[in-house]
Amino acid sequence: MHSVSVMQWGVWAVLLWPKLLTVSIPLDCREEPGSLSRCPSISQEKLLDRVIQHAELIYRVSEESCSLYEEMFIPLPLQFQRNQAGYTCITKTLPIPSSRNEIQQISDKWLLHSVLILVQSWIEPLVYLQTSLDRYDAAPDMLLNKTKWVSEKLISLEQGVVVLIKKMLDEGLLTINHSEQGLFQYDVQPEVLESVMRDYTLLSCFKKDAHKMEAFLKLLKCRQTDKYNCS
Amino acid sequence: MAVLSSSSNLLLLLLMSSLDWLSTPGSAFFMGRHHMTSPAPLEPHITECISRDQATFRCWWSPGNFHNLSSPGALRLFYIRKDSPTSEWKECPEYVHSNRECFFDDLHTSIWVTYCMQLRSQNNITYYNEEDCFYVENIVRPDPPVSLNWTLLNISRSGLNYDVMVNWEPPPSADVRLGWMRIEYEIQYRARNTTKWEALEMQPQTQQTIFGLHTGKEYEVHIRCRMQAFTKFGKFSDSIFIQVTDVPSKESTFPLTLVLVFGIVGILILVMLIVVSQRPRLMMILLPPVPAPKIKGIDPEMLKKGKLDELNFILSGGGMGGLPTYATDFYQDEPWVEFIEVDVEDPDTGEKEDNQGSDTQRLLDLSQPVSHHMNIGFSNAVSFPDDDSGRASCYDPDLPDQDALTLMASLLPGQPEDGEASLDIVKRAPAPERGERPLVNTQTGGPQTWVNTDFYAQVSNVMPTGGVVLSPGQQLRIQEGTSGAEDETQKKGKEHKGSEDSEEDKEKELQFQLLVVDPEGGSYAAESNGRQVGAPPSSPIPGEGYQTIHPQPAETKPAAAAEDNQSPYILPDSPQSQFFGRVADYTVVQEVDNQHSLLLNPPPRQSPPPCLPQHPLKALPAMPVGYITPDLLGNLSP
Repeated sequence: MHSVSVMQWGVWAVLLWPKLLTVSIPLDCREEPGSLSRCPSISQEKLLDRVIQHAELIYRVSEESCSLYEEMFIPLPLQFQRNQAGYTCITKTLPIPSSRNEIQQISDKWLLHSVLILVQSWIEPLVYLQTSLDRYDAAPDMLLNKTKWVSEKLISLEQGVVVLIKKMLDEGLLTINHSEQGLFQYDVQPEVLESVMRDYTLLSCFKKDAHKMEAFLKLLKCRQTDKYNCS
Repeated sequence: MAVLSSSSNLLLLLLMSSLDWLSTPGSAFFMGRHHMTSPAPLEPHITECISRDQATFRCWWSPGNFHNLSSPGALRLFYIRKDSPTSEWKECPEYVHSNRECFFDDLHTSIWVTYCMQLRSQNNITYYNEEDCFYVENIVRPDPPVSLNWTLLNISRSGLNYDVMVNWEPPPSADVRLGWMRIEYEIQYRARNTTKWEALEMQPQTQQTIFGLHTGKEYEVHIRCRMQAFTKFGKFSDSIFIQVTDVPSKESTFPLTLVLVFGIVGILILVMLIVVSQRPRLMMILLPPVPAPKIKGIDPEMLKKGKLDELNFILSGGGMGGLPTYATDFYQDEPWVEFIEVDVEDPDTGEKEDNQGSDTQRLLDLSQPVSHHMNIGFSNAVSFPDDDSGRASCYDPDLPDQDALTLMASLLPGQPEDGEASLDIVKRAPAPERGERPLVNTQTGGPQTWVNTDFYAQVSNVMPTGGVVLSPGQQLRIQEGTSGAEDETQKKGKEHKGSEDSEEDKEKELQFQLLVVDPEGGSYAAESNGRQVGAPPSSPIPGEGYQTIHPQPAETKPAAAAEDNQSPYILPDSPQSQFFGRVADYTVVQEVDNQHSLLLNPPPRQSPPPCLPQHPLKALPAMPVGYITPDLLGNLSP
């Protein structure tokens, strides 16, 4: 089962690699009338599609990582605790709507900004997760690679969302600022169990938030194509 | 690292040992029904919570063994949404008591937020399980797809297998269009009376191909779906049944192929038979025979290697007297055979088709209907050239019909003169008197006889008068007919004229022969002959006959005046040549008399015996045969 999912992930990675590459190309081109823009211009629809695919892939990989981690490190009785980690997630304080009704009622702008906030808030914790997993004794390479891959792609997703915001909302370039400590404050947990549980919580929360990002972006796309039916 | 691993192992062991303590019946909801093995009394618990569209969900509970709480309303469901630390327990927004179900609508459903459920009885006894908490997206089980149907893609050539394309619609409750849910489908099928389902790979498209179904079997197909990257499947759809019966055309094509095969085999056999039976003709057409030398009357076997001597013998007239007059048809079965006509009288030029007669004839100022030689093409069309080589001319020669002669003459368009000459000859044939009949004969036979003469004539003697004696082997021209002498002369003149051009070519050939050159003469021997012909020309001289040809003064030089310088034509002097035998091919000049004539041989001066058969190749006895060389010439005293 997992081998199949791993294979699927691999296929996904291969298929979407060029697309990811495109997304990762710096798209902050200034549209000055006299200058020859050296960066490739991309239409808004295509960019949105690529961002959505990016988000879908990130979610898929994160889900696989979480399952893998759960299988290896979390005993069965404790697995249900992931469902309770809702209010321990780092992003719970973010003012992000969580019901479909609410989501359908918020504006495009807010959708995009929510996505951006989510993405930006997860970049650092993923780095921490990576370092934490590296300290494990028996962490499989696959898990490590996946988490590493996810953290990398998240950065490119952030870039894409930034450009999308600029294109769709005609806003200025948002400063990508990672300096603020923000939501995540981690302290080194010497105890094994707690670090394991915390990593597990991190993975679960990230998986959830990745799903959230994907849903937001898809709703946004639906609104772009067919405004009246996507209420 | 090692400390971490060992401590984690210990932790795990600890946890596993506490597993039994932790697991309660209440966690059956989360763990799944298979873990319910505990015999402890079942307290009221939440059975299941399911969401179909990720926007609403339902929860069901059971009173367990507490039957007193089974009445509706005895248990109440409370939930808490743990999206903030200050959240509270709330009661179910919508009860469906008949089902012991609680329905949460859009407004009360939040995604990505933890929900926890608990049951409370009337007297505030709370039955709560920590494990009954979930995220809504994790409990989504989509409805089964709808509108499942199939189409036949193709049938294998053997008719045993076929492929089917199955397609369906996504469940209407799942908001796929919005992208709210990303669904993937799984098709399962099985044959009619089997129990194991075959599952195809999950994929998000709304159609899929099933390969390798067997005709005649009935298949059952159903489908289910789940959210991508999630674990919980929805229910299976209703089954559809696929069956493809045997295609009847399959059977009809089988005998058709048989018929085709047999037909082709039969045709092949027929063609082979035709080829075998008509093999010779086919061989003729495909491989036409290479023309090989085929000489009429000669056995083709003789043409093979090693039998050249026999061939020469035959060709030279030996054996049976040369080639038989009848055509030994060795090539009877080859009607297309073209024969090479052999001029037997000229062994040197046996196979040449000499249009213009032999040089000897030209030498002796004769022209002949060379049509004798020309038997081109059709072997049986033209009469065989008469071989007169062994017979005297006094015999009745095989006169060709005048018609045949004219025919033959007319066959040669390039030589009208010869034709005329021949005609003249022919005409003149009946003209002369009886006394000149021999002449006529000889004349008419002359052309014939001259056919038989050699290609080259050898002068055997030169008469003081200037005549040249030719060696035996040729028939001498019998012009000793006084009556027709001048006519002959004229005729000869004409002949000369006619054949002059062609004979000029022969001059070179004749030059090495002994010529009588008498500038005075300039005339032809014909004239001398004409003059000298007094005695009736008798038959050709048998045995050795020497003729002398005297160059005559210009007595009778009619049209030949133009040819003063040339008197290459040496004609036998008939009167002196009463002996019309054959002369040797070559002779030696013995002396030159005071009249500048070369004496080749002492003239035997004998009357020619009439009608003696000739021996064609009788050589002169005691006659040194050879050419006169210039130094020898010096010995000859003028």
